[in-house]
Amino acid sequence: MPDPKYWAQLKIDPETKILIREGIPTILNPLDKHALEAALQIKEKTDAEICLVSMAPSSAVMVLREALAMGADRAFLFSDRSFSGSDTLATARVLSAGIRQIGHFDAIFCGDFSLDGSTAQVPSQVAELLNIASVCHVESIKWSEEDNFIWVTQKIEHGDVTLRATPPILLAVTKEINRPRHISFLEIIEADEKEIRILDNSGLGLEPKTIGISGSPTQMADLILHKGQREGRIITGSLTEIVQQLTERLTQSGIL
Amino acid sequence: MDFKFSERENLLRKTVREYAESEIGHRIHKMEETGEFPMDLMETMSRIGITGVISPQEYGGVGLGFMARTIVLEELGRVYAAIPMAIQVHHMACAALNDFGNEEQKQKYIPPLAQGKTMGCVAVTDPSGGSDVVGMQTRAEQKGDKWILNGRKCFITNSHTSDYWIVIAKTAEGAKGLSAFIVEKDFQGAKVGRKENKFGLRGANTGELVFNDCEIPRENLLGQEGGGLAVAMKTVSDAGRTGMAATALGILTSVLEEAAKFASERKLYGKPISKLQAISFYLAEIYAELDICRLLCYRASWMRDQNMRSDTENAMAKWYTCDAAFRCAKKAVEIHGSYGIMREYKVQRLLRDAMVTIPAGGTAEVAKIVMGRAALAPYELQR
Amino acid sequence: MKQKQKYFIFAEQRAGVLHDVSLELVGKCRELSDKTGIEVTAIICGKNVRTLADVLLVQGADQAIVAESELLEPYRIMPYTSLLADICKKYRPDVLLFGATSMGTELAPRLAARLNTGLSAHCIELDLDGEGNLLQFVPGWGAGLMATIKCPGHRPQIATVKPGVMSKLKVTTTAKGNIIEFKVPATLDTSGPTVIKVKQKKPEKVSLEKAEVIVAGGWGIGDQQGWRLLEELAEILCASVGATRPAVDEGWAEEDQMIGQSGKTVKPKLYIGIGISGVMHHTVGMDESGLVVAINKDPKAPIFDYADIGVIADYRGVVPALTRAIKEKIKSLTCHLGDN
Repeated sequence: MPDPKYWAQLKIDPETKILIREGIPTILNPLDKHALEAALQIKEKTDAEICLVSMAPSSAVMVLREALAMGADRAFLFSDRSFSGSDTLATARVLSAGIRQIGHFDAIFCGDFSLDGSTAQVPSQVAELLNIASVCHVESIKWSEEDNFIWVTQKIEHGDVTLRATPPILLAVTKEINRPRHISFLEIIEADEKEIRILDNSGLGLEPKTIGISGSPTQMADLILHKGQREGRIITGSLTEIVQQLTERLTQSGIL
Repeated sequence: MDFKFSERENLLRKTVREYAESEIGHRIHKMEETGEFPMDLMETMSRIGITGVISPQEYGGVGLGFMARTIVLEELGRVYAAIPMAIQVHHMACAALNDFGNEEQKQKYIPPLAQGKTMGCVAVTDPSGGSDVVGMQTRAEQKGDKWILNGRKCFITNSHTSDYWIVIAKTAEGAKGLSAFIVEKDFQGAKVGRKENKFGLRGANTGELVFNDCEIPRENLLGQEGGGLAVAMKTVSDAGRTGMAATALGILTSVLEEAAKFASERKLYGKPISKLQAISFYLAEIYAELDICRLLCYRASWMRDQNMRSDTENAMAKWYTCDAAFRCAKKAVEIHGSYGIMREYKVQRLLRDAMVTIPAGGTAEVAKIVMGRAALAPYELQR
Repeated sequence: MKQKQKYFIFAEQRAGVLHDVSLELVGKCRELSDKTGIEVTAIICGKNVRTLADVLLVQGADQAIVAESELLEPYRIMPYTSLLADICKKYRPDVLLFGATSMGTELAPRLAARLNTGLSAHCIELDLDGEGNLLQFVPGWGAGLMATIKCPGHRPQIATVKPGVMSKLKVTTTAKGNIIEFKVPATLDTSGPTVIKVKQKKPEKVSLEKAEVIVAGGWGIGDQQGWRLLEELAEILCASVGATRPAVDEGWAEEDQMIGQSGKTVKPKLYIGIGISGVMHHTVGMDESGLVVAINKDPKAPIFDYADIGVIADYRGVVPALTRAIKEKIKSLTCHLGDN
């Protein structure tokens, strides 16, 4: 995802209403680091192989290298011009097609949502297209090797739910689940040798009308950027009017 | 000339920056207060590879070279310079062992240092003066199959936190009369003396080592008998000067960040002071100094990694970067106005830390002796 | 006559308790039906949920589809996706709305993928475009962006809506709608993880650095009683309380509540500064907050340069009135257990 430090420089294409990401460095979605850490902790106890998948512009290779340095084994990047403008469903199609190509897996780990779009939709949709069960908002994971059960707790309002799952399963994690490890220099050196395979659409074979803008059932009717400046709006009027405007503004921004 | 960093170097920098911000940032207050180096940081730093960055992989290090080391120290220094100060001296011990040790010594002493299980230090400075190395008073005499060491070393970084000391002592008269020894803190007759109370780089421990008929096994002579000056000079020049330069580079990076941030936020006459030309000119100068110092530091590291002789370049990097860090920190304090002299603000610490880097690891004057030699070399008459 | 649009709402219940967002969605759909004819249907699933269906009818739904089965209690993602897919295939709604709750945010995307249709998340407003499409207003990118999403070519249009944003209708005296029983098919997908236990717990106090909402006070509060007004506002907002140096010196707040150069740096989604002048000492500690509201009776206070919304008034009038207004608006605030 585009580095939040640079979000002030974002621009919108007035015609397609797509966000222009060029020139803004790509970083690893912070929640994905927690997901990778969760997988790495399981890898420490079992003999698991961790494979990274991502749909992103080709500059994301650097981000994948960083994730490989954390301890993942290999990476796949699905990158093609025609993927641009995908909504979550079109994105899920690309990811699930790619995952199908990679082959067998026991579990898929994701961050609950990415800090940019924050839809939290892609994990569930990838699971659906792969026809496997999914659990979102995961706060803890325990993989029991003897019986191959995966015990997870899911965060709900005012509490949590303990679930027992079996592979294959998709788990979308919250940031409360763990503290991602620091990368070591030896792992950075080793990561240079690890494979990053880049597949474009000729490698995935998806029909044009299922990807990108044409493959996205949702469309952007409008997009407004709030630039860094403070609004500086002064509310005036009687006490009742002030309070009413304040409450409206608080609800409008989704905080209340 | 390719002035770009490699993808690996960029990832290295990012990793250390994230580590430093998350693990060191919140401890600064305590380190400033107590003047103690937090030994528990050694564990995480060694796991990442910071302690063994220049030691060969066969001895438990990471084997990445001096450019990587400079990046590491720089990023640590950007958060709290006392940490790279301590680590760079630790690296000096590693480097001395690697450059001059025999196989047994390397196998015994480098792994625990590279893996951060113990800390190391290099003790050259006598009370008689660090700049006058040959004039030192600390002596070592052979007695049977041992060396007996007598004397004191002062202003030694990591004196109280390290287990292995590389000590230079006089074994005969003259320049060929110095020898280097590997001393373990538990050797009979070795002990730590006073702890110094520095006004900057406070989190790095500095103090005295005292030797009273200290018994050193024969096999702990490091390098040739009489070759101690070479050990001291090379270690101080290569690892020491580049290490101090990188530390100061980190300080200077932080100086620019703090000054620019403050100037963009502080308002006078209805607008940020960064809009005033005088202030923006100061920032322009700091910006240029930072870039100059980067080029000096990186070039010296690059030369060392190419196995080129870089004494002059090391000296220039050390002298100029430490000096620039101080000058720019002073400007930054002034840009902050009265806020700058308040302990709550970071910039006063940057000034103190920068000043301490100037004499540490060799005075500016000694550096200039090295540089002066290079300047005059083409014009020296043949003897 | 123009065909009425069919708007379905997934009414969420857990352990027999109906989530308020379901009623808010009914209220919103009723509001939209002023612009164009909409038939509002609530879907309620579980075991013994008929009484909840009555609640939905009494608060504005035209009809309620009730699906009852042992297999639907407790909620599990696979059976619910399967059931809702069957319901949508049978009734072909134009719109299906969920609350953007823990349940809704994992269930709605799965269903949207199964039905090959579009979904927007965490909407804070819904409207119509006049061509039969639902306009979905979604904040994103740390609320630096407001997107208007529509799904013109696929049905149903699915959206999850942020709880607490829309308004419930007032309860009518009689339920006018009818209940449709949906027979849960034997082919219901019962795969997926097993629920072992559900644990309710009171939320822990959150540190200033992690707080999503902060109410902070400064010198302008004036006295301990005034500080109490600030704390009441904080309580109703589930906010952490912050302070400036003068407030700490006066003893109204603790040292560890101080925000600023010598205190904490905070980044909440909402920061309300009351009686704070806004000198640099303090603002460096809160300037990266999301929405900043400042209340101060001095029009020249520098805090207004750092605020999105400024109120130039004596806080002693505004703050209690605001607290009252918010109390009324939010009955189902997530931090209050068992308020329903």
